[in-house]
Amino acid sequence: MRKLTGVAIWMVLVLGWTGPYAAGNTPKQRLEPLPAAEWDRSKAKHLLERAGFGGTPAEVNRLAAMSLADAVAYLVRFDGVPNVTLPSFEHSGIFDAGLDPFPPSRPATTKLAEETGEALGIKVKAGGNRPLQPIVNKFFYWLRASRLETDRVAQWWAERMLTSPRPLEEKMALFWHGHFATNEDKVRDYRKMHKQVELFQRDGLGNFRTLLINVAQDPAMLAFLDAGVNVKGSPNENFAREIMELFTMGVDNYTEQDIREAARAFTGWNFTGLDFNFDAGKHDDGGKNILGHIGNFDGVQTIDLILQHEATPRFIATKLYRFFVQDSIDAELQTELGKRFKDNNYDITALLEILFSSREFYAGHVIGQRIKGPVELLISTYRKLGLTNLPGAPDFNLVTGSLGQRLLHPPTVAGWSQGRAWITPSLLIERGNFALDLAFPDIEFIPQDRYPIYPSGPEIRAVQQRLRDGQDMLSATRPVDMAASMDTDMMATSNRVDRQEAFNTRYGSFRGWQMAIQRVKPIPRDLATLDLTRMVVRAELATSAEVIDYFTARFLTVPIDGTTRQNLVELFTLELGSDDVLASSTVLEEPLRLLLHLILSRPEYHLG
Amino acid sequence: MITRRKLIQGAAALGGLAAGVREPALIARALAASEAAQGRILVAFELSGGNDGLNSVVPYGDDTYYKLRPEIGLRPEKLLKIDDHWGFNPGMAGMHKLWKDGQLAIFHGCGYERPSFSHFTSMAYWHTASPNRGDEYGWFGRLADHMAPEPQPNLLVNIDTTQSLAVKSRVHTPVVFDEPERFQRRTLLQEKNVIERVNTAPTGNASLDFLNSVSHSANEASALVRQAWANYKTPVDYGVLPAQFPKVAACIEAGLPAQLYYLAFRNNAFDTHVQQPNLHRRLLTYAADAVHGFVRDMERLGMADRVSVLMFSEFGRRAQENTNLGTDHGTANVMFLAGKGVKGGHYGEPCDLTTLDDTDNLIHTTDFRRVYATAIDGWLGLGVADKVLKGQFERFPVYA
Repeated sequence: MRKLTGVAIWMVLVLGWTGPYAAGNTPKQRLEPLPAAEWDRSKAKHLLERAGFGGTPAEVNRLAAMSLADAVAYLVRFDGVPNVTLPSFEHSGIFDAGLDPFPPSRPATTKLAEETGEALGIKVKAGGNRPLQPIVNKFFYWLRASRLETDRVAQWWAERMLTSPRPLEEKMALFWHGHFATNEDKVRDYRKMHKQVELFQRDGLGNFRTLLINVAQDPAMLAFLDAGVNVKGSPNENFAREIMELFTMGVDNYTEQDIREAARAFTGWNFTGLDFNFDAGKHDDGGKNILGHIGNFDGVQTIDLILQHEATPRFIATKLYRFFVQDSIDAELQTELGKRFKDNNYDITALLEILFSSREFYAGHVIGQRIKGPVELLISTYRKLGLTNLPGAPDFNLVTGSLGQRLLHPPTVAGWSQGRAWITPSLLIERGNFALDLAFPDIEFIPQDRYPIYPSGPEIRAVQQRLRDGQDMLSATRPVDMAASMDTDMMATSNRVDRQEAFNTRYGSFRGWQMAIQRVKPIPRDLATLDLTRMVVRAELATSAEVIDYFTARFLTVPIDGTTRQNLVELFTLELGSDDVLASSTVLEEPLRLLLHLILSRPEYHLG
Repeated sequence: MITRRKLIQGAAALGGLAAGVREPALIARALAASEAAQGRILVAFELSGGNDGLNSVVPYGDDTYYKLRPEIGLRPEKLLKIDDHWGFNPGMAGMHKLWKDGQLAIFHGCGYERPSFSHFTSMAYWHTASPNRGDEYGWFGRLADHMAPEPQPNLLVNIDTTQSLAVKSRVHTPVVFDEPERFQRRTLLQEKNVIERVNTAPTGNASLDFLNSVSHSANEASALVRQAWANYKTPVDYGVLPAQFPKVAACIEAGLPAQLYYLAFRNNAFDTHVQQPNLHRRLLTYAADAVHGFVRDMERLGMADRVSVLMFSEFGRRAQENTNLGTDHGTANVMFLAGKGVKGGHYGEPCDLTTLDDTDNLIHTTDFRRVYATAIDGWLGLGVADKVLKGQFERFPVYA
């Protein structure tokens, strides 16, 4: 039967097709633990790949030396994992009280300033031209600074994914970030994004009810789904719809009426600063009919009604299965997993333990079939290389972004589509280009946390250049595409009388960038510390063929075909100028890096 | 045994040394290989997020409109007038020009039975042309399968960061790219033979087979697309945010054999729940200017007779405004077909604003698949709409 994947599978789930059944086995049998005799190194490698981000041969060996139960307990419950405290996020210190609450837009900010004489903690200037300029500058400052600081949060999180001895904690945080997808573009406050990541790290392996309530009361989520405008007498359906459709039950398990009634139950929920705030005056405590239950439900009671619904445990357990095991899942197994999840009182760890121990998880058609998402691809690459620091170049956020997964900027509230959706011809090429930049650093790399490139970079840079050329404010802030004609008669315009205006938006945009980079700490730009020669020497590899086999085993889950292997051996030998690897140890590094690039460019590399 | 000489010769044969010689030759070969190059082209343009049709093509002659929308209803004097009943949102100057040139068809009341209010579900219905059911393949993908039952490189193009369900095909691997400059595997010369070798034989691992086929498609398409984009220069103004239309124009100018292009205005942009008016106007300006620029550019290239643009959104918005100067998810909506081949005008029955359904929404009058069928049979002239859409849908007389 044709294998279904990606969005199609999602359609299947939504629309209730039943996919291919694993032949002859009941769901109960498929979820039984793998017999001890079948546990071996290749299965340990598979487990580390899925329940973590993969690892070095030594890490695989350590896991393989344990029993299956111990290995699962090590990775899922962290039994026997050294208790290290991971570094917490180091704030640059870009926030001040005047920024809270942050108005919804630039026009709203200047309107507030005009009406009250003050905004963002800054008073309108008493006189002179552009009396609102400092306020506009600060508005753009925060937009830019929060975005840059959010990149630092993502960098910090990625560093934890790379270095944590409890990788599943971070992988679950990544899963929940895709599930409860919130985007800084709308939230516009890195502090809320950071707080949400910490929530996922803390609660991601705990109880789903606790997690769900905490997310529903999380300031980033409340801001993202317009909680502020969901008030008594004027309910906004945004959050109520998404909690049912995307966060718990999936479509077709509730009605539009349920959404409208649930929206009323969530009225009055909002945030103040970084805290959840319930405004009883804005809450509609009237009677409601939600999912067939009648009562004066509030938000938490509504969540409990949703959790009682049979669709919820099935929906969540199925999504976890698809993330950790495989894309396709039949209806019987969905039901069984939902039942187990509910029986375990929504304990996420318990469900994952069942999955990672199961025969199903170690089936031949499951191993090496999962297409990695961009974040996993980078982290697992670094882990397999044995890196202990996240490289600053290539830039983690730029690379994962160009591959379709920029942390803290998911494309929509539905998060990222998994599986085959990660791969297009162009994205496959981009993945290879990342491997090249890793093996052979790009000397033209420009850190974009200092140098403005996207989205308004050219304009910002042009404003600075023209101001420093002595142009007046009006000329300097002309749109870039008009600049060519402008600059020819620059001398004529530079002495022109300044226009009277309340503020200049383009100047604010430029000045905001300047102020942002004064405060936001730079991301360290250390390159990956690769010493492939040492890797080969320590593994005592003597011939080209041994090097190829070692590298493919270390970096790939799926073996390469014979012709490709032979091509690699020949090319490597040619580049090395010899087949005697040990005798060539002083000239090994460059051919090895070439080899690394080639292996990381193979289609096989994206599977785990 | 591969020698260095062989490697270099191989790389040169593949074009690594003399890009200037190689790529036009590739284009010519691709052209010759495809009879489809003489065919007509359909560009689908998706406005994701649920475009507010009522505030796009405004029924200003209907008092009910202003009753439903006392705050965000657009006053007649602000509109770009179509006639004494309808007017375009002031942002849609580009579409207004196409209308005046008789190159824009407006389809009223488009939707489907038992509408979904979920962006993702409803968009999936539009992508698969299969409301309330879904399909494993997208309607554009199925269309490609009917156009060419055997795999044909570069027939189906999706310019976006991720592949749309709409282009998912049983037979073809769609060319999906976002930035042509980046659509290039950077490779050192000595690596070239090894890196470009793709195993196309089945491996027993379905995911690997998939990756191999995409890898093969990437090798086939990337040089063509990059060369097309590098050579493309246009004096035509596509507006501030031209979506991906200039890239389509570049591919068409270069003679890429693609007949199906799929584009999207991304990331749910049209989901205007709050503070809608300025934002919506701006979004429509971008979209309308881009489409207008594209049609003009096709005229410049002498390709205007061969290209039509289809515009749609996953749903319209609630007839009544909400209390946040915005609108919530709705149902029936307008669709558009634009291009020189189009007979401009109104098609389909406009929704009755006084008769809403029990969710306070417009009741659709036109199955959206009728417009798809019009594009498939009326424009592309394929006569396979019934098969692609898995049902019979009456065409509109948009193409003479």
